[in-house]
Amino acid sequence: MSHTDRDSSNPTFDYGELLARVENDRELLRDLLLIFKEEFPRNLLVLREAVDTKDGNRIAAAAHTLKGMLLNLAASQAAATAGQLEQLGRQREASGYAEGFSALESDARKLLPQLDACMAEVSK
Amino acid sequence: MRILIADDEAMSRRLLQKTLERAGYEVLAVENGRQAADQLCVANGPKLALLDWVMPELDGPGVCKEVRKRKEQSYVYMVLLTSKEAKEDVVAGLGSGADDYLTKPFDPEELKARLRTGLRILDLEDRLVEAREEMRFKAMHDALTSLWNRGMILELLGRELSRSRREHVSTAILLCDLDHFKDVNDTFGHLAGDEVLRETARRLLSSVRSYDFVGRYGGEEFLVVLNNCDPAFGFVRAEQIRKTIAQCPVQTSNGVVPVSMSLGVLLSHEWGMRSVEELLQEADLALYAAKAAGRNCVKVASPNTISRVPDLQVDEPARRS
Repeated sequence: MSHTDRDSSNPTFDYGELLARVENDRELLRDLLLIFKEEFPRNLLVLREAVDTKDGNRIAAAAHTLKGMLLNLAASQAAATAGQLEQLGRQREASGYAEGFSALESDARKLLPQLDACMAEVSK
Repeated sequence: MRILIADDEAMSRRLLQKTLERAGYEVLAVENGRQAADQLCVANGPKLALLDWVMPELDGPGVCKEVRKRKEQSYVYMVLLTSKEAKEDVVAGLGSGADDYLTKPFDPEELKARLRTGLRILDLEDRLVEAREEMRFKAMHDALTSLWNRGMILELLGRELSRSRREHVSTAILLCDLDHFKDVNDTFGHLAGDEVLRETARRLLSSVRSYDFVGRYGGEEFLVVLNNCDPAFGFVRAEQIRKTIAQCPVQTSNGVVPVSMSLGVLLSHEWGMRSVEELLQEADLALYAAKAAGRNCVKVASPNTISRVPDLQVDEPARRS
C-alpha cells in the first residue's frame, strides 16, 4: 500500500518508507500511530496558541516537535510545512504565522484520515 | 551494551527504543537533557548515548559539553540525532563534544552501523584502560608475590606515619625476614624458593586486616605496616604473624619446606618525629636482634635500649639467613 501513489495530489505519508523505518514491525507501527493520535492534537493546540499570541519562540519549538513527529511517520510534506513554520518562528516573521499554520492544518486534515485507515489495517 | 536515548518527543523515543532493543541494546530512555546529563555523569552510567538536539531544560549539545567536562570517568560515545541538518548545525554539534551526528528521520541500518562504530571506539578505550591498569599494577606491585613492591610500601608507610602523627595514634612497623632462606634455595632449588615466597606472602596477607599494608622489602624480607595499632598489642600481633608463618611447612613442587620468620617490630608513637629511614633502621636493628636470639622470634625496638643490638655480635651474613 502506498498512500502517495493512491493520490499524488494529497500530502500524505509514504507507507513503504514507514514500514522500512519500523523494520516491518506492525506492532511498533501501531504504537507509533497511537502516540501520534494522542500527541499530535495536543501539540497542534500549543502551536495554535503560540500563533495567536505571535510568540516566535513557542511557534518554533512547537512546530519543531510536530515536524519530528511527522518525519517519523514519513509524512514528508506535512513535515516540510511544519518546518517552514518553525523557520518563520525563528526568524520572527509574524506576518507568515497564520498562513503557515493554516497550511499545516490543511495538511493534517488530509493526513489524519489516512493514518486512521493505516491504523485500522495494522490493527487487524 | 547499555545505551541512553534522550528525546522529549514520545514517538521518537518509542521508535528508537524498539529499534535498539531489537539490535540487542539495553535501553535507558529519558525525556530531557538534564536527566540525560545526570545519567551519563554517574559512575557506571551508560557509555553510549543518542541525544536529540532540541530538548527542554538542557539541549543535546549542552549535554555533550557537560559530559565532556568530566575527567575521571570512562569515555561516553555520544551521537546527536536531530532534524537540524544545516552545515553550521553539524559543526556546532560536533564542536560541543558529540562524536557523531545523524539527521531525523533516521534509517535503522545506518543508525546501527554508526553505533557499531561507537562500540569499536569504546572497546578500544576499554583495552587501553586495561593495559594502563596492568602497567599501573606492575609499577606498584612485586612481580613474584603481588604484594606492594619496595617503593610503594615505603610510600604507604610514609603516608601512614604522617596520618598517625596527626591523629596521635601508633603505627606498627614489622620488618620480617624468612629464616635460613638461602638454605631453601640451595636445597630445594630457586623455583621452590619462589613458591615459599609466594606462600609466605599469602600467609602474611591472611594475618593482617584489610587496611594494613604488606610489601616485599627485599629478597626474603617483608615489611608489614599495621595502621592505627594499639601499642599494647603490637608485639602480640607480630607474634600471631610469626606463628601463622611457622605453623606448617610449605608444600612446594620440590618437596615440603619448613619455614619460620624473624620479626623486628617498632611502634611509631614511641619514636617522636623520626624519619621513615630512621624508623626502618631501628626496626632493622630489632630484626637483627631476633636473628641473634635464635630466629623464629619477635623483638621490639625500644628507644631506651638503643645500645642493646651492637652487643649481640651477630655477623651480617648470618643475620640475613
